Amino acid sequence: MNAPGAAEDFRAKGVPHRRVEAWKYTDLKSAVDVEQVASATAAQWTLESEGAEPIDFHDGGFAGAMGEASMAFAEAGFGLRVAKAGKVRVNFATPGQARVRLVVEPGAVLEYIETAEGDGFQNIGLDVSIGEGAAFTHVRIAREGRGVRIEDVNATVAARGTYRLQAAHFGSELSRLELKIALNGESAAAHLSGVSVLDARHADITTHIVHAHGDTESTQLFKHVAAGRARAVYQGRITVAEGADGSDSRQTAKALLLDERAEADLKPELEIFADDVKCAHGAAVDDLDADSLFYLRARGIPDDEARGLLIRAFLGEAFDGASDETRALLWAPVEEAL
Amino acid sequence: MAKMLEIRNLHAAVDGKEILKGLSLTVNAGEVHAIMGPNGSGKSTLSYVLAGRAGYEITSGAIVYNGEDLNALPPEARAAKGVFLAMQYPVEIPGVTTLTFLKTALNAQRRARGEKELDAMSVLKLVRTKASALRVSEEMLKRALNVGFSGGEKKRLEILQMSLFEPSLAVLDETDSGLDIDALRLVAEGVNALRSPDRAMLVITHYQRLLDYIVPDKIHVLSAGRIVKEGGKELALELEAKGYEQIVKDAA
Repeated sequence: MNAPGAAEDFRAKGVPHRRVEAWKYTDLKSAVDVEQVASATAAQWTLESEGAEPIDFHDGGFAGAMGEASMAFAEAGFGLRVAKAGKVRVNFATPGQARVRLVVEPGAVLEYIETAEGDGFQNIGLDVSIGEGAAFTHVRIAREGRGVRIEDVNATVAARGTYRLQAAHFGSELSRLELKIALNGESAAAHLSGVSVLDARHADITTHIVHAHGDTESTQLFKHVAAGRARAVYQGRITVAEGADGSDSRQTAKALLLDERAEADLKPELEIFADDVKCAHGAAVDDLDADSLFYLRARGIPDDEARGLLIRAFLGEAFDGASDETRALLWAPVEEAL
Repeated sequence: MAKMLEIRNLHAAVDGKEILKGLSLTVNAGEVHAIMGPNGSGKSTLSYVLAGRAGYEITSGAIVYNGEDLNALPPEARAAKGVFLAMQYPVEIPGVTTLTFLKTALNAQRRARGEKELDAMSVLKLVRTKASALRVSEEMLKRALNVGFSGGEKKRLEILQMSLFEPSLAVLDETDSGLDIDALRLVAEGVNALRSPDRAMLVITHYQRLLDYIVPDKIHVLSAGRIVKEGGKELALELEAKGYEQIVKDAA
């Protein structure tokens, strides 16, 4: 879709709101209107990259309504192509919109480390194309903010390619990471994991994995800790296309509520059009386990420290698959937030 | 002998329901006492009240430990002062390795007592010296706390903690439950090794079997929240022969 087409379509539908099923828990319309989205300035960023060459950023697709808005209205952006091995660090520190396009050529490896911070309305549209046998790692740290912060990711993964997400979210007035990942070839895989640590903030992770080809694999593990009047949202939609036999998908979302006013909305959703598939999903909302807390305290560990130990143990599982370096990168802000 | 634990006319309630109804007993330093009683007599409630679990409310009476009223203290302060409860159902905590847990707990107790904390290496050495006798392997120490442990492994780890923390008052709540005879013997040996003139133990059990291995100085029979009979170690055999119902009836 081109920019004018996207603009017309977005204006016709308007800013998504809570009566739109996909935005039920993130009432964006309460925070911004169409004109604010259309006239938002260009976001600014700092970028360090190695092993990548620039390409046009205008092409690509989107996952949801705000990705479409970024296509329609973002005046700034960058595109990078990696042929062998690349590492990119980007920090989005201002309000505004931007488009990013990444092409990971067959057999190439790209580590994309992204931080988002600041207040105001920020909307980033990311399009990633992962070639055959290529490996893409998306590390995202979204720091605590006060505005509306959205990232919309549209990714395609060719045979034996991998999309790996490791995210740490600290929430905003409204925030959302929305991903649509199409597994288009044999043994293509998506492995998504992350934590949300929220104190009186909102964070929404919405994923849509499309097993378009047979023998593809997806795993998801998201852990949320919500304190105060926080709201943690996970919506995970899995589509297994007709004929995509041998697809294997697992998703788990868990939330720990530390306060009576905290809320978690966890919604797995399966659409299966093939016969021979494995799909496992689980969601659980709990408060801290009283037996565990008593056990630790009875061993001399003070209440605060015992709670901290249990919360860290709960969150830590989400980064079991991360490298030591990535784990350290994601864990530092988690420690700050706890 | 010095009184270590004195429970005076203790009444305690859970969810507003009175479970302990005037329980009194005294344990001196160096003694091992057993509390025996049928299901529902209040045995586990007593152990939780001693450890300070939230929701177990003392409505009247007192628990005096080394001259101090325990009821005023949170569980962690009781632990730091040397009260240890070996639990009937040790909890599984995924994401926290056993060794990390032992180090955190040991140092929290030391800190509370104003002692210097131990570094990871010193803790590991200390744990190793205690672990082999209880057949707690290095591999178990690296695993998440109690996760995937057998019943016997969990109880051995409880006794390892007791040996590591060196409490003055150890309460063992149904330590025999779920153990086969070999595991029971191993756990009992671990407990016996910790008998000492400055330590008191309260062994809570339903069955006489455990008391063949941990021989108590005194046995108290608990029924409906009260001690109804007391005696020496031979009382266990009488209970085994007559059953709780008869003993309680005789005592009434």
